[in-house]
Amino acid sequence: MSRRSVIEMLVLVFFVLLPLAMPTWALSDFAIYFTYAIFAVSLAFLWGHVGLLSLGHAVYFGLGAYAMGVVTLGMTVLPGWSVIGVILAVLVPGIVAFVLGSFFFASSGLTGAFFGIVTLALAFVFERMAISSTWLGGMNGLMSIPPVVVFGHEIYDPLVLYFGLLGLLALTIRLLQVVMRSRFGLLLAGVRENELRAATLGHQTARLKVWAFTLSGMIAGLAGALFVSQFGFASPSLIGFSLSAEALIWVALGGRSNLLAAALGAICVRFVESQLSGALGAVWPVVAGLLFMTSVVFLPRGLFGEAMARLQVAGRRSDPS
Amino acid sequence: MDRILIFLLDSSNAILVLMLVSLGLAVIFGLMNVINMAHGEFLVLGAYGVLTLQWAGLPFAACLVIAPMLVALIGLAAEELLIRRTYERLLDTILATWGLSLVLRQGLVLIYGPGSHAVAAPDMGSVPVFGEIYPVYRLVVMALSAAAIAFTFWVFFRTALGLQARAVIANRNMAACLGINTRMLDRLTFAFGAGLAGLAGAVMSPLISVDPNAGLGWLVPGFLSILVAGLGSLSGPIVGAAGVGAVDSLAAAISSPVWAQLTVFVAAIIVIRFFPQGLMALKRREA
Repeated sequence: MSRRSVIEMLVLVFFVLLPLAMPTWALSDFAIYFTYAIFAVSLAFLWGHVGLLSLGHAVYFGLGAYAMGVVTLGMTVLPGWSVIGVILAVLVPGIVAFVLGSFFFASSGLTGAFFGIVTLALAFVFERMAISSTWLGGMNGLMSIPPVVVFGHEIYDPLVLYFGLLGLLALTIRLLQVVMRSRFGLLLAGVRENELRAATLGHQTARLKVWAFTLSGMIAGLAGALFVSQFGFASPSLIGFSLSAEALIWVALGGRSNLLAAALGAICVRFVESQLSGALGAVWPVVAGLLFMTSVVFLPRGLFGEAMARLQVAGRRSDPS
Repeated sequence: MDRILIFLLDSSNAILVLMLVSLGLAVIFGLMNVINMAHGEFLVLGAYGVLTLQWAGLPFAACLVIAPMLVALIGLAAEELLIRRTYERLLDTILATWGLSLVLRQGLVLIYGPGSHAVAAPDMGSVPVFGEIYPVYRLVVMALSAAAIAFTFWVFFRTALGLQARAVIANRNMAACLGINTRMLDRLTFAFGAGLAGLAGAVMSPLISVDPNAGLGWLVPGFLSILVAGLGSLSGPIVGAAGVGAVDSLAAAISSPVWAQLTVFVAAIIVIRFFPQGLMALKRREA
């Protein structure tokens, strides 16, 4: 077993044992943090592995949240089953990401900062559309979205939610790791390192980026769906600028090039925020912003990313096999 | 006819201020290769500067002069403490300045509260312009913006400092080898760009509601302006802002401001997608 898998197993064991040391009400908070972590993982995959910095990634999270809400509230002709909600919450952001990605990346395409600014502008566009749509509840959003129903049982028990979402988060990270190690994932890393070289070697870099963007959008949509069915409320703030900015902070602080580090970043920032926001109040965003700036300047790999990278290096030194 | 005239005046007002904002962004990006996501907050800081100085009892004209200078000083400090550590890492400049914008925005919330403030407009009355009554202050805003734009061009094309700055834009390493102090130019440029944003915020302060989140509404159109026309020249942001501002005003006159913004953003995204070099590059290629 590699040092890396040992670290991953230890983190998983920690979260499996954590409910023993927590009051029940805190479990549902953590279940929500896990959905944020799934969102952070989708962004870290796109940013860290493919090198595409999406400044408006909440668009896909929000689309998933609204799709789930619309279906389970019975606002469509479809039956309001959770399964259909989740499927649409993955498909709709996936299709939007595919169409936008094809538009962005085909032929010469947008790169680097241009891509970032365009995605930021798009976040504004989508937020505006959500606010001005009366069908989606406008400024107020969609309220009293029901919890997920599995085999006729509404899932609202905190312990079940905690383990269910922890499982889904672990599964998502695992799935993306498999993708990253596949041929497709290696080509994506090639695109990140040197797109011109990858293209010169005969790879369709545009198509690779489109599919990576689509996959990331689908996972973000899934996170959005899981989020609203617990939170019960989908508002335009889920789709726009502020959540996109928050997700960037989680991923940058956690570690952009390591999915587990990004997930831990989301969970930790959210947890610390809930602990400190009482004591610090409005000062908290300033602290978060300062931490974010510090990590961008001094720890480009992020807190957890840096720690894990060092542990792995230390492991290699002490264990020559 | 009359309404068209007023419409034209209002549009030129908006366009000139947008030009100031995008000029500041373009100067910082062109010379330093820094994408300044905190530019909107610099604008808001200019407006808050006027507000604070007015509370302190200074006359409005003095506020207009001092507030942009204060913003330039804040820009200088930000460059020294933060921005210079992220040079050569373009995407990290986005993140670092994004963090800066969060801190500035929340700092304003802490000091002034989350609500919006109104800056007392200087009572200058109205004058007839081609037979229409128009507020004098709006004309002053236009004149000041145009003067600041002209001043920027003068600095860049008629002074020794501007020549050095253009040398750095063309080839930073060669400029440094020729003995140009690029470090000092970086400092000055960032402060100057921040000051331009501060000036835009200061002159607009009586016309907008001054609240901590007002900056975002300027940042994105500013970026789209410089990307639409193309990077690499000072006239780019002027042309881009004219285009973006004109489409925005026209669409707002036909529909609502919200749909106007959507139209502008979508149109700009399409232009940027198909002409990543900017629309002005097309002309250059033909010539």
